[in-house]
Amino acid sequence: MAKDVLVYIELKDRSVRKVSYEAIEAGKRLRKFFSSKLHVAIIGFQVEILAEYVKGHADYVHVVDEEYLTDFTIDNYAEILHMLVEKTSSSFVIGSHAGYGRFILPKLSGMLDWAILADVTGFELENGRLLFKKPLFGGRVLSYVEVKEGNKVVTTLRPNSFSVSEPSLSGEVIREKIETKKDKKIRFLRAERKEEKKVDLQEADFIICGGRGMKAPENFKILEEIADIMGGRVGASRSVVDANWREYEEQIGKSGKTVSPVLYIGCGVSGAIHHTMGIDTSKTIVAINSDPNAPIFNIADYGIVDDIFAILPVLKEELKKAKEEV
Amino acid sequence: MKILVFVKQVLDSEAKINIQDDKKSLDFEERFSLNFFDEFAIEEAIRVKEKVKNCEVVAVSLGSRKAQEVLRTSIAMGVDRAVLIETEKYNIWDPYFTAKVLSGFAEKEGFNLIFCGERAMDDENGVVGVLIAENLKIPYVGSVVKIEVMDTNKVVVDSEIDGSFFGYEVELPALFSLRKGINEPRVPAITGVMKAMRAQIAFVDPYSLLSIPLTQKTEIVRFEFPGKRPAVKIIEGQSPEEKVKKLISLLKQEAKVI
Ligand SMILES: Cc1cc2nc3c(=O)[nH]c(=O)nc-3n(C[C@H](O)[C@H](O)[C@H](O)COP(=O)(O)OP(=O)(O)OC[C@H]3O[C@@H](n4cnc5c(N)ncnc54)[C@H](O)[C@@H]3O)c2cc1C
Ligand SMILES: Nc1ncnc2c1ncn2[C@@H]1O[C@H](COP(=O)(O)O)[C@@H](O)[C@H]1O
Repeated sequence: MAKDVLVYIELKDRSVRKVSYEAIEAGKRLRKFFSSKLHVAIIGFQVEILAEYVKGHADYVHVVDEEYLTDFTIDNYAEILHMLVEKTSSSFVIGSHAGYGRFILPKLSGMLDWAILADVTGFELENGRLLFKKPLFGGRVLSYVEVKEGNKVVTTLRPNSFSVSEPSLSGEVIREKIETKKDKKIRFLRAERKEEKKVDLQEADFIICGGRGMKAPENFKILEEIADIMGGRVGASRSVVDANWREYEEQIGKSGKTVSPVLYIGCGVSGAIHHTMGIDTSKTIVAINSDPNAPIFNIADYGIVDDIFAILPVLKEELKKAKEEV
Repeated sequence: MKILVFVKQVLDSEAKINIQDDKKSLDFEERFSLNFFDEFAIEEAIRVKEKVKNCEVVAVSLGSRKAQEVLRTSIAMGVDRAVLIETEKYNIWDPYFTAKVLSGFAEKEGFNLIFCGERAMDDENGVVGVLIAENLKIPYVGSVVKIEVMDTNKVVVDSEIDGSFFGYEVELPALFSLRKGINEPRVPAITGVMKAMRAQIAFVDPYSLLSIPLTQKTEIVRFEFPGKRPAVKIIEGQSPEEKVKKLISLLKQEAKVI
């Protein structure tokens, strides 16, 4: 039996998020393995145009473009995906573990009564078996999980776990007309949307994270400037968030977000295990700390032992130069 | 009004972990704690209880005998009653199965409101709450940062996703997963601790809660430790300029990340 794959496309400001291309990449691998078809679902209002960006990556692009979707509820999205799963007879649904997918996809798995695997960082084919890789205990152990015989699965992927490839397909765009049920027990009241063009923390390739060693909230300005130069984001340790220097949304670690950037730079972060659990799948870790015995040096690839305030201005200038060169 | 709070006992971050020879099971140093996010769920339930009349709060955990500890903590904080759905040992269960058992409990017990934590610190799934809501066919909102109980039929909640906030009016019964920041969990008072020590915890068999026989839908084929990162290269130099220049060139030429 063909095992078609349906990918939920995560959007932001009416554009396709990077995590969606990663989910598509995962979908492409399953499509190849099972010689099946890859469907992608674009759901929202005034989103039809986005089909152009993803049709080179799929066999079918299902577009649900409806005004009632401006009011976000998990239920509407899950209900639409449910209908698309039935229509396409898919056996896999893939989305991101960041953004809205983290809420919508588990709900969908419940509606379908399928297995769910969340925060997956890869899969491997082993003697014809498909194994999903999932970190446990803050990345201290990796588990390889198999979905039992006959079970279908909904899965969410940790951002920055799959590299993205060039378009190689020419998908057919299908405009779907879907109305959701009206008798909702959840009534949408209001939205206060954050309007910003910056990349989200979890999908940023570059993160510069400030810890208590930054001494005061105003000192984070230079971190902002460096993040902007690099097209990345500022992160924060829990101490800094608890002191109200930064928003919880920026907290990295066990009780905050797990991130996997290409480059993480920790500034005045001691590197307690609760923090490093949130960064251990980063590609390159740099630590700047005046204490040579700070535990962050046990996980870092490169370290500078110095006063952060002496290093940061130079780092900013040098990163700017490096960016201008390329 | 009856509120159920689902709380999980999780392994401490610092506890030693070993993978057994069969690669299929783990050994731990027995150091556990109450799941960080579940403290917000307990606190919120107690706050509702403090506001509305005739309210009972029941803490429920699926876990080994040792998980009684987190139930005692819940009682010390102010929960009325605690139930342990006892499993043989602390294990990473299939969330599908966990949710089926917990839903079975909720159905038998009855409730108006259920609170869960945003996610468990060991598996970091953040899915059990929504699965229970789906099994029970009740409304669900995740990542809740504010709850206002209007009456026994209705609450107004705010939730946060990636820095955007959404407000909803929700009919009860309903389930909410709570995010850090919704409240400041209290430290149990000494009288609470005394009460918790004496409290009776009810034990329930998980299989007795399933209306139809079920098994887990996924299986862990093996555990592995992640590859160790190479040792840190400390960058030496006479001045900040020199150190930063060296760093940048390593990031470019060696790590190839800028
Ligand atoms: C259940 C639980 C969950 C937790 N979750 C998280 C989490 O999600 N994220 C998280 O980050 N933490 C978390 N923590 C807290 C964690 O254990 C640490 O307390 C926290 O990460 C420390 O933050 P910090 O590194 O900013 O501060 P500190 O530990 O105070 O470190 C400051 C560092 O700055 C350095 N420094 C000071 N001045 C300078 C200077 N001028 N130049 C250079 N370096 C300087 C110091 O040498 C020190 O290493 C959690 C704890 C618990 C118990
Ligand atoms: N074994 C369990 N016993 C009680 N509650 C649980 C259990 N597992 C998960 N939960 C609840 O579901 C939430 C999300 O868990 P998870 O989906 O595993 O990340 C937790 O914060 C708990 O409130």
